[in-house]
Amino acid sequence: MEHALSLFVRSIFVDNMIFASFLGMCSYLAVSKNVKTSLGLGIAVTFVLLVTVPVDYLLQTKILAEDGLFGTDLTYLSFILFIAVIAGITQLVEMVVERFSPTLYNALGIFLPLIAVNCAIMGASLFMQQRIQMDPATSSQAISSLGDTFVYALGAGIGWTLAIVALAAIREKMAYADVPKPLQGLGIIFITVGLMAMAFMCFSGLSI
Amino acid sequence: MSQLFSKDNRQILTAPLNGDNPIMIQILGICSALAVTAQLEPAIVMGLSVTVITAFSNVIISIIRKTIPNRIRIIIQLVVVAALVTVVSMVLKAFAYDVSVKLSVYVGLIITNCILMGRLEAFAMMNKPWESFLDGIGNGLGYAWILVVIGAVRELLGSGTLLGYTIIPQGAYDAGYVNNGMMTMPAMALILLGIVIGVHRAVNKDIKS
Amino acid sequence: MKLNTNSNIYTIIYACVVVVIVAFLLAFVSSALKAPSEANERIDQQKQILASLNLKPEKAQVESQYKQVVVADPIVDTLGNVVSESGGFKVKRKDIGKPQLPVYVCQINGETKYVLPMVGKGLWGTIWGYLALNDDCETVYGAYFSHESETAGLGALIAEADFQSEFKGKKIHDAEGNYLSVVKFGSKQEHPEVQCDGISGATLTTNGVNAMISDYLKMYKNFLNKKKQNL
Repeated sequence: MEHALSLFVRSIFVDNMIFASFLGMCSYLAVSKNVKTSLGLGIAVTFVLLVTVPVDYLLQTKILAEDGLFGTDLTYLSFILFIAVIAGITQLVEMVVERFSPTLYNALGIFLPLIAVNCAIMGASLFMQQRIQMDPATSSQAISSLGDTFVYALGAGIGWTLAIVALAAIREKMAYADVPKPLQGLGIIFITVGLMAMAFMCFSGLSI
Repeated sequence: MSQLFSKDNRQILTAPLNGDNPIMIQILGICSALAVTAQLEPAIVMGLSVTVITAFSNVIISIIRKTIPNRIRIIIQLVVVAALVTVVSMVLKAFAYDVSVKLSVYVGLIITNCILMGRLEAFAMMNKPWESFLDGIGNGLGYAWILVVIGAVRELLGSGTLLGYTIIPQGAYDAGYVNNGMMTMPAMALILLGIVIGVHRAVNKDIKS
Repeated sequence: MKLNTNSNIYTIIYACVVVVIVAFLLAFVSSALKAPSEANERIDQQKQILASLNLKPEKAQVESQYKQVVVADPIVDTLGNVVSESGGFKVKRKDIGKPQLPVYVCQINGETKYVLPMVGKGLWGTIWGYLALNDDCETVYGAYFSHESETAGLGALIAEADFQSEFKGKKIHDAEGNYLSVVKFGSKQEHPEVQCDGISGATLTTNGVNAMISDYLKMYKNFLNKKKQNL
C-alpha cells in the first residue's frame, strides 16, 4: 500500500511525463491554447493510459517474458506489440465511448485519434517494461504487479493533465504580454515550459 | 547522376535543414530532442538513429505505397517503423552498449516520434523511393543538428567536457569557474531549445510564427 | 488484373504477410545479435568489479583481465559458510543478499583481495556497489558505486572516481563499532579511520550508500571473521 502511494505521488510530481521525461510534447504544445480543450485531452490521455499500460504489462509478463507463454525471450517483439496495442486500443476506446457515452465522446472525440501517436502513451509502456526489472524493496519506481500498473498509469496521466492545464492557463494570460518578436510563438512557450520544469524540480527533494 | 541530384531533389534534401526544419518549424519530434541532449554523444547517436530510420522507413513505405490497403495504412506504417526501431535498438545494444544504456527507453520512443509518421504520411505515400530517401535523410539531419547543438552546449557548460574529453582548462576552475550543474537538468533543455528557436527566427525574419 | 486494395480479403492477407515478414526479420536479427549484446552485459558487470579493484582496462581487455584477476566467485551465506564454490557472478543484482552473498576472490600482484557486491536504496532508485577489501578483511582496497536514476550532477556523482577514491585505505569498522560511512560534505570527520567526505547536495543518496554499506558488511561479517581467523 505504501509502495503504491509513493509510486502514485512520484508519477505525478517527480517523474512527471512532461517536465522530467518530455513525453507527449507534440500534442502538449499543439493543444495547450486554452484550458478547456487541454483538460479534455488530458482526460483522454489518462483514460488511454489506464487501459494500455496494464494490457502491455500482461503482454510483457505473460507472453513476451522468458517464463511466459512461449518459454523463450520474445522481448524483441515488444515495440511492435505495444504500438499495435496502443493503436488498436485507441480505436476500440473511441468506438466504445461513442457507443455508450455520446456526451463523453463529444468531449473527447477529436482527441482520441491523436493519442495513438502521443509518445506519453508509448513512453509509459516502455518505462513500465523497464521498471519491471526494478526491485520494489529498494526503488519506489518499481512496478511489480498489475495493481502497480494502474497506479502508475493513473499517476502519469494526472501528471500529464496537470502539466498541460497549467501551460494552457499561462498561455491564455500570455496572449496579452509583449514578447520580443523572434521569441513569439514557439520560442517563449519553450522557455515557459522550461521555467515550469524548474519549478517542478523542487519536488525532487520530496522524500517519500 | 545529375538527375538523381536535380534541383528539386537538392531542395528536398536541404529544406528541412533550415527553412522547413522539423523541430523548429514543424514542431515535430520534440520529446526525444530534449531528453537525450544532456551529453553530446547520446545526442549524436540519437540523431543518426532517427536519420537512418526516417530514411529507410520512407523508402520502404514508398516502395509498397501502392499496395497498402487504405484502411490499415497507419498500422502498416507503424509496424514498419517499429520493426526498424527494434533493429536499431538491437544493433545499439550489440555494438554501442554504453550509449544504449544512456538512451534507455528513448530509442523505443523513436516509434512515436512524430517526424517519422509525419514524413511517411506527407511525403513517402506520394513520392518515389529515391525522393523519399532524400526527404528522410534531410529531415533526419535537420533533427540531428538541433540535437547536436543543444547536446554540445549542455555538455560544455554543464560538465566542461565534449564527448567526454575535458575542454574547459583546469586554470579556469582554479580561477573560480564552476560548471553549471543546472545545464544537466531537463529544464535547461527546454529553455535552450527556446533560445535556439528565437535566434533562428531572428536570423530568418521571413518565417512566420 | 488490377488488385482491389480495399477488399476485405486483400486487407487481411496483406496484414498477415506483413506481420509474418516482420516477425521473421526481427527473430533473425535478434538471434544474430544476441551473442554480442549478452557479451556487452557481461563485460559491463566485469568492468564494474575490476573498477572496484582500481583497474580500468580498455573494453577489449576487460574479459581477459577479469579472468586473470578474479580466481573464484563463491557464494556464501550470512553465517559465513560457503554455499557454492562458484556461480557468484551469475547471481542477479536483485537477489544479492537474499540470502545469497557472492564474493569475488581476486589475486593482484600476489595479494588476495575480496570484492563484496552490495545493493541498496538511493534517493530515486536502486544503487549498488562493489567494495574491495585487502586480505586482512578490514582495510578497503577500492570501491565502485553506481545507480539507476540518481540526480544528475548530485547523487549521480557516486559513480565518479573522485568519490570512490575516498574509500581507499579506510577501515570497514573501528573499535567503537562504527561502520565505514560517508559524512555530510564539509562536516568534521570524527572517526577519520572509517569516514569519507560526502557529496554536497546529495545527502539523501549518500545516506543510502551508508545504509547499504553497513547492511551488507553486517551480512558479510561472519564470512570476513572466518577469513580473519584463518590468516
